[in-house]
Amino acid sequence: MAEEVKKARRPVDPNSAKYKLGQIAAKAYSDAQEAKARGEMVGWCSSNFPVEIPETLGLYVVYPENQAAAIAARGFGEQMCEISEADGYSNDICAYARISLAYAKVKECEGQDMPQPDFLLCCNNICNCMIKWYENLSRELNIPLIMIDVPFNPDYEVSDAETAYVKAQFLAAIKQLEEITGHKWSEEKYKEVMEYSGRSSRAWLKATACAHYEPSPFNGFDLLNHMAVMVTARGKKEAAEAMELLYKEYEENHAKGESTFRAEELHRIMFEGIACWPWLRVTSTGLKSRGINMVTTIYADAFGFIYDDFDGMCKAYAQVPNAINLEKARDKRVKLCKDNGAQGLLVHTNRSCKLWSGFMYEMSRQIGEECDIPVVSFDGDQADPRNFSEAQYDTRVQGLTEIMEERKAAK
Amino acid sequence: MSTVELLNKFHEIAANPKAQMDKYLAQGKKVVLVAPVYTPEEIVHSMNCVPMGAWGQDIQINEAKKYFPAFICSIMQSILELGINGTYDGASAIIIPSLCDSLKCLGENWKYAVKNIPFIPMTYPQNRKPDFGHAYTKAGYERVIADLEKATGNKFDDEKLAESIKVYNEHNAVMREFADLVANHPEVSAQARSDIFKSATFMEKAEHTALVKEFMSSLKEDTPKKASAKVLTSGILVDSPALLRIFDDLKITIVADDVAAESRQYRTDAKGGDTALDSLVNKFCEMDNCSVLYDVEKKRVDMIADAAVEKNADGVIIVLTKFCDPEEFDYPLIKKACDAKGMPCILVEVDRQMENMEQARTMIQTFVEML
Repeated sequence: MAEEVKKARRPVDPNSAKYKLGQIAAKAYSDAQEAKARGEMVGWCSSNFPVEIPETLGLYVVYPENQAAAIAARGFGEQMCEISEADGYSNDICAYARISLAYAKVKECEGQDMPQPDFLLCCNNICNCMIKWYENLSRELNIPLIMIDVPFNPDYEVSDAETAYVKAQFLAAIKQLEEITGHKWSEEKYKEVMEYSGRSSRAWLKATACAHYEPSPFNGFDLLNHMAVMVTARGKKEAAEAMELLYKEYEENHAKGESTFRAEELHRIMFEGIACWPWLRVTSTGLKSRGINMVTTIYADAFGFIYDDFDGMCKAYAQVPNAINLEKARDKRVKLCKDNGAQGLLVHTNRSCKLWSGFMYEMSRQIGEECDIPVVSFDGDQADPRNFSEAQYDTRVQGLTEIMEERKAAK
Repeated sequence: MSTVELLNKFHEIAANPKAQMDKYLAQGKKVVLVAPVYTPEEIVHSMNCVPMGAWGQDIQINEAKKYFPAFICSIMQSILELGINGTYDGASAIIIPSLCDSLKCLGENWKYAVKNIPFIPMTYPQNRKPDFGHAYTKAGYERVIADLEKATGNKFDDEKLAESIKVYNEHNAVMREFADLVANHPEVSAQARSDIFKSATFMEKAEHTALVKEFMSSLKEDTPKKASAKVLTSGILVDSPALLRIFDDLKITIVADDVAAESRQYRTDAKGGDTALDSLVNKFCEMDNCSVLYDVEKKRVDMIADAAVEKNADGVIIVLTKFCDPEEFDYPLIKKACDAKGMPCILVEVDRQMENMEQARTMIQTFVEML
């Protein structure tokens, strides 16, 4: 990675949402580490597994995808990928999986440590790659795997058959986890978790929707950090409170004419895809230096898990971004672009993610047409730094900027 | 027909799927394309349509590049290319299962890239063993039936499905017998073996069964030649003529395979169940040992190593379709399982645009010399 001149970081106010969200994310690791040290069981959990289940059961889980992103963002992605590649894993495989399989083998990484698992919780609503990755973890570590299959839905709505299939698996997973860990399901606790999850989700949706203000009261790259809490802790009271605080701060920023986007907001875009974690600063600076604020991403919608009961929860997990068809995925993005006044779409063609990128060309064409905005893509990777070219990124973003400038001038 | 004549016939069909499809269309039959890896072909057959395998072709990709990034496997890319360039024109529909992430994308892209051939999704459950997995498989089949009725105008009848299942089960048995028989006849080239498997995807099954039976009768008359190197092949596809030529030049005999387009199709029969449709549900739910079917125990890994030993193979050749991540994830574990049994194992990466196989030749040659 190119050397970058690091500016002194602004001190973070310990009463701010940013600080609190950072603490929640960090605490998830330390709590799990402490639990492991006490002899309790710890699970590794995929990012869109129904977090309500381990939360209600009072289980400690950590998230290999979050860990891989942290490892990649801190510059250790390549060395971890190489460990897996030496074991025969193709470098075409998802880099999160390569990092995770390497971590399961070497059990330490300066980028982000976490306790080794006693059980695995996998849900393939984001991709079938998860199944393969977790199957291998289960075999290599010789520990139980609970796999909830949420099939890719080729239709716009979730069918009754799919809801029934998913619900039966949720119930089976609870039973299996009770047997493995000895923890018991409590309806009362579940209601509490559901309530916090709902509060976190509503606050998240409201906070991200603040981007409709012009200028936006926040830098869209903030969302990439904050979403870690939505992934891992949205069923916790602290998360609900921190998300509500985040929303409050964004409203206050707007009222005071302030923003966490520390530049003049000349252009507003939607960013599509997982962040290029190894090149986060480069990708962020490439936008900020041109006055481009990323005002929305699909994550703004993705973690709005609003539901009223168990069946509703099953349906919500069947409608996460990578489990839905092109039309539904397109419509969600079109709404985000329109609601937030996006003037362009920047697409990360992510080498690690076949499902996310495999029909993105067509979908982004349709979004561009429907919103009448320019669409530009660049090649990158969520965690393997070798699959990104700074020069290509710069050229593509420059191209997008020029089109947006021309359009602005013509108005 | 003589053995040679039969082999020529299989080759002609395997090499010219378009001619097969045109022949059926000219006969007034409806053709329904069936994509990898598993589709309920029996349903298509029972509805008086011809299921035609759509596993792509060794062609250059042009138009499909507008839909797929370069890191999607060449099987998906070439299926879409053939759809766009009109090769599949005349088909009533295409059934695409969502068994891997790239197949999910193929279905979504198909709707916009090939508007004249309706896309019928087949959504299988991965947790297919419990009752809820059976129920969801059945719901998937019922959806396919409804879509097929709409696309073809033909009606579904469970009794007809029962007849089709008999045809398919018999074909399965014949193909299993063929794979065992040909293992002991090294004079049947790798290309010929591939032709017999591949032609099955482009023919009505009863017709193919009859032809394979005739071939086996003829082959049994022949005196087997001595094998030099015996291998088990594994992968999604092993049908590239350039790759098969390497096998034949080096006198490699395939004594067993774990190839998705070959033996994986024929391991499991439809049986049991209150209705024929339930019987077909049982078939899918009983299936295992495949990279696109969830298995917490990963039995496939040991199955390959064990089968290689049992079939007296000298080694295992993994023919990996580039960018096929389900297979890529299994490879390190297969290698480990083979190593544990002292079974040599080699990985050869291929794709449908590969013109130069010299690197593969060198690797396979070195491997064979070591055996």
